Amino acid sequence: MASTSFSPYKTASGFLLPSIHSAPPFFTQQPNLSTQITHTAHWTRLILSYARHRQLFLLRVEDAETSGSNWDEILKNERINRKLLPTHLSFILADMVSKNLAIYEPVRQTRSVLLYWRTPEEWAEVLHGWADSTGQLNTILTFYDIVEPPVPSPLVGLPLTMLRKAIAILAKTSRAQTIAVADGEGVRFLSGNTTR
Amino acid sequence: MGGNQSVPKITKQDRAILDLKLQRDKVKQYQKKIQGILDREHDIAKQQLAAGQKDRALLALRRRKYQEGLLAKTDAQLENLEQLVSTIEFSLVEVSVLHGLQQGNEVLKEIHKEMNVDSVEKLLEETAEAQAYQREIDEMLANNLSAEDEDAVLKELERLRDEVLGETKPEQAKLVHFPSAPSTEPVSPMPAETEAVPAQQGQERIPVAA
Repeated sequence: MASTSFSPYKTASGFLLPSIHSAPPFFTQQPNLSTQITHTAHWTRLILSYARHRQLFLLRVEDAETSGSNWDEILKNERINRKLLPTHLSFILADMVSKNLAIYEPVRQTRSVLLYWRTPEEWAEVLHGWADSTGQLNTILTFYDIVEPPVPSPLVGLPLTMLRKAIAILAKTSRAQTIAVADGEGVRFLSGNTTR
Repeated sequence: MGGNQSVPKITKQDRAILDLKLQRDKVKQYQKKIQGILDREHDIAKQQLAAGQKDRALLALRRRKYQEGLLAKTDAQLENLEQLVSTIEFSLVEVSVLHGLQQGNEVLKEIHKEMNVDSVEKLLEETAEAQAYQREIDEMLANNLSAEDEDAVLKELERLRDEVLGETKPEQAKLVHFPSAPSTEPVSPMPAETEAVPAQQGQERIPVAA
């Protein structure tokens, strides 16, 4: 234990882990209430910034139960031989959902969440901005076009649930219009200038 | 706020384009799947070779070859679809350009109805006439004014004269003695007189200038 240093550590994917991540007690659910609150806040912040760094959207309790997922760099620390337990992760996820930082996705279960490292409102702006800058306003687009475009974009891999929410927000200000046909659905982004 | 009014209607062409794009997406996803199979068969072939099973490896490579053929065919289909989509989108652009031209043309026609050549000519003529008329009036008024002015000036002159005649004569001489331009060439007796006068005036003037 003397060999571990409480300092930030840069992971293979280029993410800087905070020094608290090198502290063994961080990986144990603390009985003391104030410590627990502090630790949960730290974990929440860590999870959200990692998700933003790697463009990850879903976090599952399962990711703490198995290895090889995208979350290993966060949920485990081999250097101090610690990992986050599934029950602890479940507790953190529940806390995040209660603070509107994530939602259970799909609904009616508590093992997997969709992370809100951007709120749907922010995603709506990113979406509209992307459509504008790629000259795709007033063009019919499929959802596939948006989340798996030929050119990398900030929207790659966006879960459809979040995409739908963002589109709904844009529709309220007349900046998007959904279209449905027999085979599926699509969306058209508009400039939203109500000067017509 | 009536938000729906600013959202364009969904036309049949829009639905057609969406349909095409959805089909194109399906083809793309199919391609991805095939690519996955290709990679997997490649790995299997390598494993079989490592395990010394040449026949199995050959089989895997043959399967892979077949899938590659499928992939090439779907590439061609995808190109067709994408071309059709861009042609349709381009023709929509053309339609809106044409629409814009039509509207512009109609607006121009309306303007010309109000502003035809004859009425413009008539207007210009009338304006020129009115301007000439105005100039006449101006001249008349100008003449009137100067005639009035002259009468007033003459009357004033007579009044002053009466005043002056009632006073001393030297002043009358002064009244008459206005500086006038020489009507003849300057001759020697004249410079003597003019020299005396400016000298006097000069002496008078010097204190004034100071």
